[in-house]
Order: sequence, then C-alpha cells, then structure tokens
Amino acid sequence: MSGNRVGIIGIGQSEFRSRRDDASYPDLVREGVVRAMEDAKLDFDAIQAVVYSLSPDAMIGIGNAERLGIDAVGGRNKPFLRINNGGATGISSAVAAYYHIASGMFDVVLTAGADKIGECGDSQTVLNKIWDPSYERPLPLGTINMLAMSAVRYMDRYGMTEEDMARVTVKNRHHASLNPKAHLRKEVTIEDVLASRIISWPIKLLDCCPQSSGGAALVLASERFIKDNKLDAVWITGVGHAAETYWMGDRMGNNPTAEHADAYALGRSFEKSYRMAGITDPMKQIQVAELYAPFSSTEYHSIDAARLSPSPQETIQRLRDGEYQIGGRIPVNPSGGTLCTNAIAVTAMARVAEIALQVWGRAGAHQVKGAKLGVASGNGGDHQIFGTMVIEA
Amino acid sequence: MELMERQETWSITYNHALGETASYFYAKIRDEGAIYGKRCAKTNRVLVPPRSFSDETLLPTTDWVKVGPGGRIEAFTIVYEKFNNLPDPPYAFGYVLLDGADTALGGYFKGIDLKDPAAAAAKLKVGTRVKAKFAEKRTGAMLDFWFELA
Amino acid sequence: MGLRNQPGVIGCAIRPVIAPRDRSLEEVIYDTAQLALTDAGLTIEDIDGIVVAANDQFDGRSISVMMASGPTGGVDRDIMSTPSASEHAFVLGALRVATGQFRTQLVVSWSPTEVSSMPEAQRLGADPYFHRALPLDELSAHALQASAVEQVQPDARTAAEAVAAKNRSHGQQAWPQPPVTAAAGPMRWPVTPAMTSAPVTGSVAMVLATPDFVQQRSLRDVAWIQGMGWATEPSFLGDRDLATAPALVAAAKQAYDGAGITDPISAFDLAELTDATPYTELLAYEALSLCPRDQWAARAADGSFAQGGKLPVNLSGGVLTWNPVFCTGMIRIAEVANQIRGRAGRHQAANVRRGLAHAGSGFAMQYQSAIVLGKEARA
Repeated sequence: MSGNRVGIIGIGQSEFRSRRDDASYPDLVREGVVRAMEDAKLDFDAIQAVVYSLSPDAMIGIGNAERLGIDAVGGRNKPFLRINNGGATGISSAVAAYYHIASGMFDVVLTAGADKIGECGDSQTVLNKIWDPSYERPLPLGTINMLAMSAVRYMDRYGMTEEDMARVTVKNRHHASLNPKAHLRKEVTIEDVLASRIISWPIKLLDCCPQSSGGAALVLASERFIKDNKLDAVWITGVGHAAETYWMGDRMGNNPTAEHADAYALGRSFEKSYRMAGITDPMKQIQVAELYAPFSSTEYHSIDAARLSPSPQETIQRLRDGEYQIGGRIPVNPSGGTLCTNAIAVTAMARVAEIALQVWGRAGAHQVKGAKLGVASGNGGDHQIFGTMVIEA
Repeated sequence: MELMERQETWSITYNHALGETASYFYAKIRDEGAIYGKRCAKTNRVLVPPRSFSDETLLPTTDWVKVGPGGRIEAFTIVYEKFNNLPDPPYAFGYVLLDGADTALGGYFKGIDLKDPAAAAAKLKVGTRVKAKFAEKRTGAMLDFWFELA
Repeated sequence: MGLRNQPGVIGCAIRPVIAPRDRSLEEVIYDTAQLALTDAGLTIEDIDGIVVAANDQFDGRSISVMMASGPTGGVDRDIMSTPSASEHAFVLGALRVATGQFRTQLVVSWSPTEVSSMPEAQRLGADPYFHRALPLDELSAHALQASAVEQVQPDARTAAEAVAAKNRSHGQQAWPQPPVTAAAGPMRWPVTPAMTSAPVTGSVAMVLATPDFVQQRSLRDVAWIQGMGWATEPSFLGDRDLATAPALVAAAKQAYDGAGITDPISAFDLAELTDATPYTELLAYEALSLCPRDQWAARAADGSFAQGGKLPVNLSGGVLTWNPVFCTGMIRIAEVANQIRGRAGRHQAANVRRGLAHAGSGFAMQYQSAIVLGKEARA
C-alpha cells in the first residue's frame, strides 16, 4: 500500500455543550469545517468531494438535513453524499471519505457534520422508532433500555457490578476534565454515581452520556497529495465495518451468534481493521483507544471486542486496577469519550479525531505520552452496526 | 441580542404492511391466545417473533411452531425515569425465551413490586422462569400478552 | 477515470412497482436483494459489502439501514447507508469496489408508499428556520423549476408535453398492462397531471464487482462503469437559478472526462434520464450536452429521443411511467446497465454498446449524478 496511503491532514471540533442557541444547525456544521480547514491550511477549492455525517433526521427535526448543510461544507457543484449508520455515522463517514481517496478518484476529501440533540425534546421517542413497527415499538424500547439489558447480561455472565460501571464514569469524567472540548467535565466519585437516580436499572444518571450540541470535521488526503504539498499527516492504516442481527431477542436465547452482553460485530469489525493494519497482538501494539461507549457498562464489551484484554473478567479487573486510564497500560477514551460528550451525528467522528490528535502528539492535556498507534470505533443502530479504524503516526 | 426559538412538531401517520408472517402471528395471538414462531429449516432454529426469512442463512423460514407459554428471562430492565410518549414509571420489561423457541421475545413483566430496585432486580434475574399471560380482550398486538413469574 | 479497479455491474433487480402489499417492507427488500443475487449468479457468500439508501421519512423508521441490514445480508457483513439519494449508494458501492479492498458490493434502494401523505413527509425536508412554513414539497419544487424554465424558454412547454407523451408511449411498450397514467393528486402550476405520475412502492438492487472477480467467475453480461460523476446544488432554492442545472454540468464533466467522451450526442446508444417531470428531462438534455434548450422543441417533435431516434431516452418509460420516488435514480442506472447486459426485457434495444444514466433527486434536482456504462471494460 506504500504510496497509496490515505492520511488525515485537518481536524476540527466544537466545544460541545448542551445548547448552542447562538448557532443554527448549519452554523454548527460550519464551525467544525472552518476549524478543520484552518488546521489543514487549505482553501476550500482544494476540497474535491464531501462526505456528510448525519444520523437520524428526526433527531435534528429536519428531513434530509444534509441538504441544509451543503453550503456549510462548501458542497456546491461538488460530489457530495451523506452517510447514516446510526451512532456509527461519524466513523462511517470518515471511512467513506477514506474510500473516496483509496478508489483513486480523489486526492482531498472533507467529511463533516453536527448535531443539536439538546433541541430534540423526544430523543428516546425518535430512538424508539428505530425498531420494528409492530414487533418491538409497542415495548418501551429506547437506547438506554436496550443497553441496560446488555448490562444485565454482562453482569450475569462476567460478574460486572454497579461499582464497576461507576468506575468507568469516574475514569472518563477525569479524562474529560482535561479536555476543553468535552461536554461533561466535572469530576465525580464512585459514590456520586451510585447515588445518582436510577434511569433504567442498572443504569443510573451518571452512567449515561449527555445530549450534546456541536460540530466536527476531518480533511483526508492521498499520500501523493500530502507528499507533493509537504503536508503533515497521520495515516489511516486499517478500516472496517460489520453488522449483527437487528433483532435484540436473537442475541439471547439458545446459542446466539452475537451475544447481547457482548459486541460481537464490533469484534468482527476490529478483526478486519487489524488484519488490514497488520496488527496481530492488539494488547502489545495499541497504545491508545477511543471506543464508542455511551453508557459506562458498554465500555467493558468494547474493550473486549477491541481485544485490549484477554477476557471480560480480566477487563473488569484491569479497569479496577487503572490500566485503561491515562498513565495506565492502554488508555481508553482519554478525551472523556462518548460518556462525556454525545452529539450523535459526529460522536464517532470525534473518536477518529481524538485518536488522530493522540498519535499526532497534539491532544493537549489529555495526551497519552508517546502514542504512535491508536484505534477508534463507532456503534450504530440497536448496537448493531459497527465501524472501526486504526490510525498511525 | 435576543435569541429566538421556534417549536416544531413532527406528526406523520404510517400504515405499515405486516406481510403474511406477522399477520399470522397476530391472528393466532388474537384468536387463540397462543404464540407461534417459525423455523429455519437449515439451522432448525425457531425464530420468535416469526420472521419470513432468517437473517443468518437468508433462507425463507418454513414451518410454524407453537411456543410457550412458559419461558425464562433472558434480559430485563426496570425503568424509573419518565420518558415522553412512554408509560409512567416504574415498569419492568425485557426478553423471554419461550419454551420451544430459540430466540427471545419482548414483553412487559407484571405483578412484581418495583419499589425497591435491588429487590426487584433480584426477582427478575436472568434465568428466572416466567409465564406468558394473555388479555381477555385481544386485538392481535404485542401488548395482548405479558409475562409473570411462574 | 482514475479508479484503481474499474467496477462492473454484474447483476440487477429492477422492481419499479410492487403490488399488492402482501409483503412487509423488510420482505420486499429481501425479495429484491435475492433477485439481484440470482441475476448475478451469486449467493450472499460472494458479497463483501453492502450499501443501501432509503428515506427515513418515507419509510417511517428513524434509521432505515437497521431494518434493511438483515434482508440485504448485512449480518456479519460490512454495510453502510447513504440516505441522501439512491444513486449515492451506487456511487459509494462503486468507489468501494474501485479500492480493491472488496471483490463485490450489493447496492439496494427502495421507496414505500406507507406514509399517509408523501408531500407532508417531504415538507419535513424544508428547514424550520426559513422554509417550513411554506408548502414546499418535491412537486412544488419541480413546479417552481418548470416555471423558471418556461420563463426563459417559452417553447419549453411544447417540448415538455412531447417528452411526456414519448415516455408514456415507451412505458406502454415496456409495461403491457400500463399503470394509471397520471397522478391523481393535486397539481402545481405549470405541472399538469400528464406531466407526473403518482408515487408507487418500488425497489432496486445491483451487484458490482472488480475486473478480477468478473474474470475469475467467467461472468458475462457485464456493464462496466466507464465514467461517474455526482454533484450538488446549494441548500436553498432561492440561491439557485432554477432554469439551469449547474450541478449536473459538473457531474457530467466528471463522468465524461472519466470515460473520455468529447461528443456526448454521438457517444451513447441510449440514455435513461430522470423525468420526475418532463422539464427535468429537458434540463438534463442541456446539462449533459445532448441538446441545447433552443432545440428542445424541435428535437422533441422530430423524435430524436424517441425509440428509433438518434438517442432513445427512457425506453423504460421513465419516472413518468413508474414513480417509486426515492429509488428512481438508482433505477435509471440499473436500466442502462441491463440494456448493456441485454437483460432489459420488453424494452431491450439492439446492440447497446454504451449508455448514459442520469439521476436527479431532492428539491428541484438538488442531487445530480451522471453514470456512463459500457460493454467494453475501458472507454
């Protein structure tokens, strides 16, 4: 692949907040784009194609809201398309931008998006409508309830406790306190988490991500363009996607292929990315990870799927031992992660952006010292569609 | 400066075709108070709720299999938070592997005191035996049945 | 055209109308995907990746790809979705094949009619900041475009009526039991019932493959992508000159440059152009350099674009015959592919070596794509 690599040359992210009443939806998209373009030190004319990152329309309250963002990304008369893989959308968009370049057709591609979840009064209602109209929507399903059931199974199978869940929040809030772009930056204790009100047992308020508003963008370029223009870059060396069954009840019962406690297809997606990047021993080779985990409990099976631990029981123990915090063996979510910031359309793009910054050595106060190789992931649908990426300096 | 807001509501109606498979399933619930699954001939797995094809083999499912009413809890949650357009909390629901089925079916758990979360969670733990109960008046819908501890 | 591996179309299933409603949407998608695999002579095991496209507001689902993953074979496979347009799923599938990281792609799109009011669903696509209060659905946008075209080209109406008649005539040959021939719904001036057709449920699936895969499997009946372009109009209708189609000019340039085409009118044996109204077909003639606007009326009258003419356009009958709204774009591409593959059915033309597909979608053709397909691997 040498000479045909694809690099990240520009990164832009908002400071994510609950509300951004000063900015319309396209204004927020523009915020990420302008920052990424400044970071790439390129004019808009250099952008040859755009991949637009947007998950459910209903969350933003505008049908095909990507059309409203065309101007914000400078898409006029340019190749432009939108990706929606649910929560994975941000990383799926980055991967789609990667394919634009890896196809040989383009040298410089922008991917961008934004979300204003804080403006949606009924996000769990919108998310109930991701399920089958007759079989599942009559049930009070939402993403919180869905993942509460995953946590229940993870507890049952591997011995995770409510304290173990709280430990993830404590770790990630500490990380977020070091990251000015993160939304929830207040440090909390295990006791705080356990004392917070129960939302959907065993998930409590402080086990949950916030609803965030903000934008993000990435500029990707071909190795040829990067070298010809003497640009600085980090390299995308592995990409992958995999899906598992839509039917949550099929992830339980007798010998399911994809167990709902785990993240089966996330593991399959990581396998693809690792194979492509030549990673054979993830625990030794990976120095930092940003794994999409909107609830504390889900960080456990994400670490398992990324093979950053030998077993789920060991993941629980290693998290207790501080091995996944900054300064530990493999820091996971040094930015604070999805648990501290969730602007759905770009949440998984932020995972990519953060890993790019880490291996670039530009992450600031939450920098993982000496990180040269990192991984990012995104989860979409009803914990169903997963995207992964390996990024190297 | 003054920052304004504008409230917008989406309200659209859909009439989703259920197809023969789901229609049969609901007719059986309405008319017989019974739950049926459909078998994938290749894997022999009984899919509940029934699907006309298996998403693993991509083959059409073949024969109907009556399942339940007994079963075991596969997953549950107890909701204590009010969400718009969902019932008033607390309520418990989850997935049950009905006897004779290979996949789990969603439904409410009723008849359990939910005041003490830890005690309620212990009663509903994975593996607990339950039984499907049917409403007297049934319309052919998922909420025509629920689960109670066996 | 700069692609590392030239993608070829090796299978198609075109279902521009699906009735009666005895299958759920998920089952419709399953049927369509299976038909495309059968047409390609493959099974799902041969598929390395999937791209789907649908409109959540038409489907009544918040994230349509979720429901579609199972029926398209997404379980344990790489699946993505492009809800911006059906043709974008084709484009992304082609790019993925071109990387050489996939042998094959299955691309699928659909458009149901389960929503009680399609215009109401479309109106949600108007932004809440400036346009939601207006009665802006797709037909209104088409009507605004049609009146803008008539303003600058007064005889466009005569040409539009002739184009509508041509496509309906083609449609009657392609579809022996012709459908309802005109929309029953309300019209928007200057678009008349004869210039549109009512939304129907439809779906389409295509299988794409690398040259290596085509060779290994000794596949025949391949339609190779010789050139591909797609581009976008700005966000607001008010920022556009609706009497022109600059994004399609840009898309055509990409596609023609890729295919090495310098004289489009003589380069193709046929074309399928999006005729949401006949005005969109006319605008496409010009933007694709097939016919300048001052010759629209003359060429429409002399049958240049009719069956047997210099460049037959929409032998399938086009959108004016069947209008599964969201997936009409990918259907145009699949129709051209099948003409080249000799599998177009009743409307198959003789000796098709190269064809042009145009997909236009969104408000007044906001998304524009041009695809050049040919029997030869290289243009």
